[in-house]
Amino acid sequence: MSLSLSRHLPKDRESFSTLAVLVAFVGLFLVFATQADAFLTLGNLRNVLVNNVVLLAIVALGVTFVVSSGGIDLSVGVSVDMASLVFVSALAAGVAAPLGLAAGLGAALLVGLLNAILIARLKISPFLATLGVLFIGQSVQRLATGGGQPIYLVTKDYAEIFNAISRSSLLGVPTPVWVLILCVLATWLALHRMGFGRQVQAIGARPGVAWYSGIRVPSRLTQVYILAAVLAGITGILLSATVRSYVPMSGNAFLLDAIGATFIGTTISRERRPSILGTLLGVALLAMVKNGLLLIGWNFYWQQVGIGVLVFAVLALSFGLQRRH
Amino acid sequence: MTMALSPSSPESPAGASRGKALAAAAIRLGALATFAAIMAYFALTARGFATPFNIVNVIEQSAILGILAFGMSVVIIGGGSEVQTGGIDLSLAANAGLCAAVFATATNAGLPAPMAIAATLGTGMLVGAVNGFAVVGLGILPLLATLASMNIVAGIELTLTENTVLSTSSPLLSVLSSGRFLGISALAWVLIAASVIVGLVIHRTPVGLRLYAVGGHPEAARAAGLNVGLHVWGTYVFAGLCAGLAAILIVSRLSASTPGTGELLLSILAAALLGTVFSRRFVPTVGGTVLSVIFIGFLANGFQLLHLSSYWVSGVQGALILLVVAVTSYARPQEH
Repeated sequence: MSLSLSRHLPKDRESFSTLAVLVAFVGLFLVFATQADAFLTLGNLRNVLVNNVVLLAIVALGVTFVVSSGGIDLSVGVSVDMASLVFVSALAAGVAAPLGLAAGLGAALLVGLLNAILIARLKISPFLATLGVLFIGQSVQRLATGGGQPIYLVTKDYAEIFNAISRSSLLGVPTPVWVLILCVLATWLALHRMGFGRQVQAIGARPGVAWYSGIRVPSRLTQVYILAAVLAGITGILLSATVRSYVPMSGNAFLLDAIGATFIGTTISRERRPSILGTLLGVALLAMVKNGLLLIGWNFYWQQVGIGVLVFAVLALSFGLQRRH
Repeated sequence: MTMALSPSSPESPAGASRGKALAAAAIRLGALATFAAIMAYFALTARGFATPFNIVNVIEQSAILGILAFGMSVVIIGGGSEVQTGGIDLSLAANAGLCAAVFATATNAGLPAPMAIAATLGTGMLVGAVNGFAVVGLGILPLLATLASMNIVAGIELTLTENTVLSTSSPLLSVLSSGRFLGISALAWVLIAASVIVGLVIHRTPVGLRLYAVGGHPEAARAAGLNVGLHVWGTYVFAGLCAGLAAILIVSRLSASTPGTGELLLSILAAALLGTVFSRRFVPTVGGTVLSVIFIGFLANGFQLLHLSSYWVSGVQGALILLVVAVTSYARPQEH
């Protein structure tokens, strides 16, 4: 529908698609605000921000780098899960919290390193490499948990640690939001203001040219996949602190949303490139739709359908316009 | 294309094509030898592995995976085996889950068997047609389009079943689940028949040849007057048909539709991708897919008989995919 409309607005297709996404955003916002009383309350917005936006956004920032480099990472869920598994297991074994936190992030880093070796050194295509890592990660989790038993740490001993991570606040802003702000600043600088980001985007746009112009492609790709995994690991830590447990395979829920948010982000960029701000807009759109559908009474299953349709529509818009370009 | 999902540095200079061909042949033989060695290992160490009863049992169990893997293979043949931009259908397993739910619901609603079958196959093909439209009509990368449709289809399945098991029974289902002919069960016959039919169509008719042309060199195929879009579209509809067929087998085997059919996706991808190692140009073939489906079946079966945890199976499949891809990427013929 939007596609046929675009033929009547031929002057500037890029701004049309940006406009379409923004109109969808504002339109849905108005629908939810008028249809669900609870939608615009401060408590709800805060809840969406802390529980939905932060977790997804940090994963999606990493995926943004991977897609910028011309790749894809199907194993971000594994990084989320491994960080959560190691963090929660370490706490359960009585390891000090900072050490457990470092171990969790280290586990995610190892997932990224494995991806990086497969993709940058062995030249396996990112899709297959991260698919293989996804398979292996699921096996590891089943083996570690006797087939997929969650690890709950709900006793008082752990409440202090988990609250310090997920429920504390600084200057009135919840800690997870501070974490997100820091991640956004760091990734925005790295992707849009530093040579590193320019090189990553060059690899994504023209791998051959990037190679011939002296960019060390393998080491850049290694950094990209490790960065994506560590960011996903941060989400894993925040997730386990929020739900006070490790639930096997829960990271996969982030996969479609993170990829979807990244591609929604590309529709608002002039060159159809992933960008940090675009990805954040995508995350906000997805989180808003999920929360709004919940509040107007759609059950979880229909929410999944709704999100899928939304991502599908945005992909259609993005690729349809790109091809007509 | 800004979204060209291709890795790293340019191809190494061509020239050693003869060496490459030898390497490719060595890999094919090596893959068969590995296959045979693992079988021999199981036969020697796992009691009851090499009995005719067990072998027929594995082939029966492989029927569902086999039908789905044919769908995936045909999509990859028609879309090209460059996995990131080429053909792939991530919604295939979720589609089979939805079709199973439709079949169970229709049977329970008292629809006659032919109507229920038509509804099931129709659902599968409709999902396939939507995927085809997204890929051909809208130009979305198959990987992304089917990732999105996978979620939509899984969501619709969950609304239909409310995440529960839908038990059902009908005369047709009992024939499929316990009927036998020449001592071989109906499920095994379905796999054999499907292998022969798909194998003949793909490898012995102009349709199959055109699909390989469309997948291998879309520009050349277009220049030769082939309707590339229509062929690619057809492969997704065929994959949907396979999902519908597999759904009927799933319901007959379990006497129910169950949530979690979507988890078959990893095995389907493993079967279709491992199968490419048995072909000269590392593209999917029906024979290669059958071999790898049966190999995966025996792998799970052997683990079970050796009392190894089934939790290892997906890890071993993942490691095999990585091994196959790493090895074949060294021997893949240069296409530039």
